[in-house]
Amino acid sequence: MRLLDIRNLNIELITNDSTIKAVESANFSMKMAEVSGLIGESGSGKSLVAKALVGMLNNRWEVTADRLHFMGQDLNRMSESKRRKVISDNISMIYQEPRRCLDPTSNIFSQLEESLPDYEFSGWFGAKKELRLKKCIRLLHKVGIKEHEKVFNSYPHMLSEGICQKIMIAMAIAKEPKLLIADEPTTSLEADTSLKVIKLLKSLNQLKEMGVIFITHNLFSITSWADSINVMYCGQLIESGLTKNIINSPKHPYTKALFDSEPDFNSRDANNKQKLYALKGTIPTLQHLPIGCRLGPRCPNAQRACVKMPEQQKVKGQFFRCHYPLQQKPLNNNWKKA
Amino acid sequence: MLNYFYRKLSLLFFITFGVTVFVFSLNYLFPTDVLSNMSGITNINEIDYDVIAQKYNLNDSVFTQYFGFVGRLLDGDWGVSFINGTSIFNQVFRVLPATIELAIYALLYSFIIAIPLGILASSDKHPWLDKSILALSIIGFSMPIFWLALLLILIFSIGLGWFPTSGRLSLIYNIPSSSGFLFLDILRSNIDYKSEALADAFKHLVLPTFVLAAYPTTVLIRTTRQSMKDVMNTSYVKAAKIKGLTSGQLLRRHGLRNGLLPVIQMLGIHFGTVITLAIVTEVIFAWPGIGSWLVDAIHQRDYPAIQGGLLVISGMVFVATILFDLLYMIFDPLARRHGHGKI
Repeated sequence: MRLLDIRNLNIELITNDSTIKAVESANFSMKMAEVSGLIGESGSGKSLVAKALVGMLNNRWEVTADRLHFMGQDLNRMSESKRRKVISDNISMIYQEPRRCLDPTSNIFSQLEESLPDYEFSGWFGAKKELRLKKCIRLLHKVGIKEHEKVFNSYPHMLSEGICQKIMIAMAIAKEPKLLIADEPTTSLEADTSLKVIKLLKSLNQLKEMGVIFITHNLFSITSWADSINVMYCGQLIESGLTKNIINSPKHPYTKALFDSEPDFNSRDANNKQKLYALKGTIPTLQHLPIGCRLGPRCPNAQRACVKMPEQQKVKGQFFRCHYPLQQKPLNNNWKKA
Repeated sequence: MLNYFYRKLSLLFFITFGVTVFVFSLNYLFPTDVLSNMSGITNINEIDYDVIAQKYNLNDSVFTQYFGFVGRLLDGDWGVSFINGTSIFNQVFRVLPATIELAIYALLYSFIIAIPLGILASSDKHPWLDKSILALSIIGFSMPIFWLALLLILIFSIGLGWFPTSGRLSLIYNIPSSSGFLFLDILRSNIDYKSEALADAFKHLVLPTFVLAAYPTTVLIRTTRQSMKDVMNTSYVKAAKIKGLTSGQLLRRHGLRNGLLPVIQMLGIHFGTVITLAIVTEVIFAWPGIGSWLVDAIHQRDYPAIQGGLLVISGMVFVATILFDLLYMIFDPLARRHGHGKI
């Protein structure tokens, strides 16, 4: 059984005079307990996919999909309340802006406590409360907050961004979800804690069979432990496949550019004052998308056929959208070791 | 918290200072004789003049006169009325409870009506409900209340005969006045016709309360609607929704607390307007409160009474504003944070 199976996901922003396609026909699937990386520049629609998945977008956005299956259940055919129940029981999310996702007028303990599931604790009222408190303390210790007493009584504006992020992570893993969507969970954390958090997520993934969608633009943090990688550009999933295939033989020039633009400090032949590789140009805004292949104007090996939108192709379990898929191996070989 | 409270108190002190200076200067600005304005005694003959002038420090500097004035205010010696020669202090505090009663009931009523309607209107699920509530509130907002009051009297008092046209209590009930708050007095008195008196007092209260509540209700509906809309769209409410909270829990734990903060602020801001409207309402319904009393005083050129009324009404508005501010601070942890450079 697949954990998640999405076909042809479209996310559109409805404005007064037009609709803007923010994410276009994305296909995405995950096995149970799989770790899947979602990579792309900012503005490429990674977070939108995640938010659409948990139903966090407001009614200015229109989300349509041909197929939206979660653990064998068709989310598309459920009533609103049933879908909300399934999602809240099985999926949790670590948000990108931790402080904005915490209620400014209630203290941390009550917010952490309400993310615990009700059914897990039995016993009479007082004992139940005691158990929930203990569980909350354990959760905070897990994410690396030692002064639980102090943090419990604080309000979000009293805490640093990093601690808020840790609290968000504690909330997300509180109900031991089947799927955790981590939207750049380690951006506001110090390097040491960010490693610890990734370790924690790894262990939850292995011990509790929790699937993880890891959204990031930091390639190093994802290649070492993701089973599969999906690359997004301009609202399209341009390449997806198993991690080792993507690292060893990316088919899409953008994927290759992403890997190449990460400076390689390990190799001996890095020259002094060597120019770092970067793809020319910037990501276009959604109102001014190029005709045909979205990477077209920036692509180093664009040709005439690229004026037409490439269809999705599949070669050896690797999906990509490109008329002229790359054949050679990438220059950086250190990705194999990672 | 204490720091904030202290700052608010000092603000109250300075405002009170300003108002007393203004009220004191009215003694000189009103057309009649200064000493008459201060004491309330008209046509003072020459023999008494020196004695009274001595008492009111009229021969000393203005500053001494001012401090004497403040001292008399604190002692409760607010002079006597031009018209009937009775103590203004006693008169003011005899009519004040009626106004406070009316204002509190009207605010309470508007709170109870407006908050649920505002929340209903903020929901995206029923756009027609939103539109009809908004239309109603705009009608209420733009309707002048003196006209609304007359219309209601015409329909419900004269036409249908359900409610009395004016007054606070029917004359056949004799309730000994102890606190001045009618319901409290009725409950505390030992009379045989308690329930009848209560029912009669309630009947008298219905129309004035409704008229006075019309304005704050419409303001509150619109504020609640907008702020609930904003709050329900924030990331933290959505995040809480994904945690698996039901709609009721969501509203109770996150929606109301954040959504009602601007409402509390709005109530504080509009309290002054409500008191002004209360004066109009009291005149129309012959409600024996400070509003109709003050209007009578103005009609009769009773200058000492005008001074007293001014002092009490402005004091009431300040105290209420500061109370609402404190209430706001108790509910909003963010307001407590800005310790400096904010009043």
